[in-house]
Amino acid sequence: MKIDTLFIDKAIPEDLEIEYLLSKMNADPQWIENSKTVYDFINDADDPISKAKKTLYITRNKGAVIKSCPGTSFYTCCDYTILHTGTFCTMDCSYCILQAYFHPPVLQYFAGLKTLSNALEVRFGQNTIFRIGTGEYTDSLIWEKVSLQPKFLVETFAKQNNCLLELKTKTVNIDSLLPLDHNGKTVIAWSLNTPDIIGSEEKGTASLVARLTAAKRVESKGYKLAFHFDPLVIYPGCETQYKKVVELIFEYVSPESIVWISIGTFRFMPGLKQVIEKRFNHSTIPYGEFILGLDNKMRYFKPLRINMYQKIISCIKEYAPDLLVYFCMEDEEVWEKCIGFFPKKEGELGHLLDKSAVAHCSLNTNLL
Amino acid sequence: MSDCLCEINSSDIDLTNERYRISFSENDINFLAQSLRESGLIYPPIVRPFNNKFIVISGFNRIRAHIHNNRIDNRPTKILVYQTNPDTTDYQCLLKSITALAFKRQLTQAELIICTNRLYQFLDEKQIAQKSSAIFNRELSARFVKDLLAVGSLPDPALELISTSHLSFKSAKKISCLEKDTIETFLTIFSNIRASSNKQLEIILYIMEIAARDAVKPKTIFKNQEIQDILFNEEKEVVLKTSLLRTCLFEQRFPTVFKTRQKTREKIASIKFGNNIKFLPPENLDSQTYSIVFTAKNFNEFQNNVQNLNAAMKNKALKEILNP
Repeated sequence: MKIDTLFIDKAIPEDLEIEYLLSKMNADPQWIENSKTVYDFINDADDPISKAKKTLYITRNKGAVIKSCPGTSFYTCCDYTILHTGTFCTMDCSYCILQAYFHPPVLQYFAGLKTLSNALEVRFGQNTIFRIGTGEYTDSLIWEKVSLQPKFLVETFAKQNNCLLELKTKTVNIDSLLPLDHNGKTVIAWSLNTPDIIGSEEKGTASLVARLTAAKRVESKGYKLAFHFDPLVIYPGCETQYKKVVELIFEYVSPESIVWISIGTFRFMPGLKQVIEKRFNHSTIPYGEFILGLDNKMRYFKPLRINMYQKIISCIKEYAPDLLVYFCMEDEEVWEKCIGFFPKKEGELGHLLDKSAVAHCSLNTNLL
Repeated sequence: MSDCLCEINSSDIDLTNERYRISFSENDINFLAQSLRESGLIYPPIVRPFNNKFIVISGFNRIRAHIHNNRIDNRPTKILVYQTNPDTTDYQCLLKSITALAFKRQLTQAELIICTNRLYQFLDEKQIAQKSSAIFNRELSARFVKDLLAVGSLPDPALELISTSHLSFKSAKKISCLEKDTIETFLTIFSNIRASSNKQLEIILYIMEIAARDAVKPKTIFKNQEIQDILFNEEKEVVLKTSLLRTCLFEQRFPTVFKTRQKTREKIASIKFGNNIKFLPPENLDSQTYSIVFTAKNFNEFQNNVQNLNAAMKNKALKEILNP
């Protein structure tokens, strides 16, 4: 999606990062003193969400640069660490929770490579393994073509040995990363879905084959990979389709390159339903068999979730029996029935993932 | 110029012209007729000259009661009325008809709908909202006026259903933006059942969602034989029809949830815990925590409950429920 309005916070210095961004973007920047200008500009639109996707606000991160994933009550979390590099996204997935999460959503790029490096240095100096990702509140690579940030992050992580960087995306924006000396510390991850769902619900994203082709390219440059089946959407014929996606993964890349695969069925804050109905009136994804979960999010009825997970996991295990597959936000019953064990103790799932990170990304084994 | 008070022949009043009539409730006029006899006409009706006759702006029931008395008593048929000035416009007559009622009692929702739709011929939404306190004896926001207009655009028998509480205002508003066919479908459904506003909204929601999911028109769902059998079975009470319709729609909207809940209920029933023990599955079957509640007035009852629980422990259905 094209950016047609560009706001820049007057308080940020015009350094190399900003110069590079501006030289690559085809929009006249408006330098502003107050973020209210951006909020008003977006809120005044008939469809603030669509407007926000075309309005970029380059600013600095005024909150925490690094924070723990908030997770959700009653379901098991993976203890992920978020590197906060921006918010919202230019792509337009119907199910995207960010549409209902921010009020209003603002497409922000947090400038300040030094700020990032200062925050990261603190983590690099700790005797703990961290799995750090930028893909929680935005897509990790939407700005790759116009920003120095992804390159900076890959190179910064390359110089240490207790943190893994996960860049999670639905794009194929990888070109600037290919020649980098990543030292194995960066995992490039793709959210995957069936071609049906990508076609109908993931507007503006790369096709499945394009994503896997990109994965193959970064794999050839020694990057480790991860895949996220999130959200799995239940629809007629979906089981066969998801199995085909799994088969396709292993046609393109080797199981040894994959650090983990996460799986999670579609879940959403109840408020998202109205957004989907309003903005994507042909979408049928809100009309699955959802119940209100213990965390007050709508989730597929548990037997349906279990059935889907079992089918997909058994298919993954056919190709890669040792590959770490985990659930994002599921409970004991689901773990037991689909994977055969439950990481019950606090931090147990995180530890499993840390082990895989250490094994695949040459992190410091002594820190496990 | 103000209306003039005068006496006219009641036979000169055209009661069939109801262009200013707001309240369509067919009240028994016997009490009003008796009151006119006892106390006389306290508030004269308002009429407007029209085609050598008079049409009623306000006071349909008073005129009917007056005519009723005259027929019985065989008295002269003169009635005291306010007659509007010949220059009085349609808009002014409409205002008189509304204010005469609104300042006597609060208008019902159906009456508000009728009035705003008539006013809309002369005023826009904002103007109606601005003048609402003077016209309706209450403030109406522009947004509410918009809703009233939307609901007012619904075809027959929507207004009648609203005035008989078969269709809530919220539900009427919800269906007002749908296709004509779909609106008619819902009006037929609500003509045949009796549900609270929340249940009506649930019925609308389920039908719309099933239709969207299955890519069919809501009318197709309505034509489903099971639903037709529920709605048009003359022997069934409306409350029962409502309950059956809701169950049927829930089953279509959430087939797996419905089946699983039913199976769980059957299994729990098969355990036979006794009347004092309640064994409750987790909400939406999403957690694994079942709860058990029993009451006891004395030691014997307590002991009986414990014995029943011990007996239940031997029932394999209990294990199947707790270790699925």
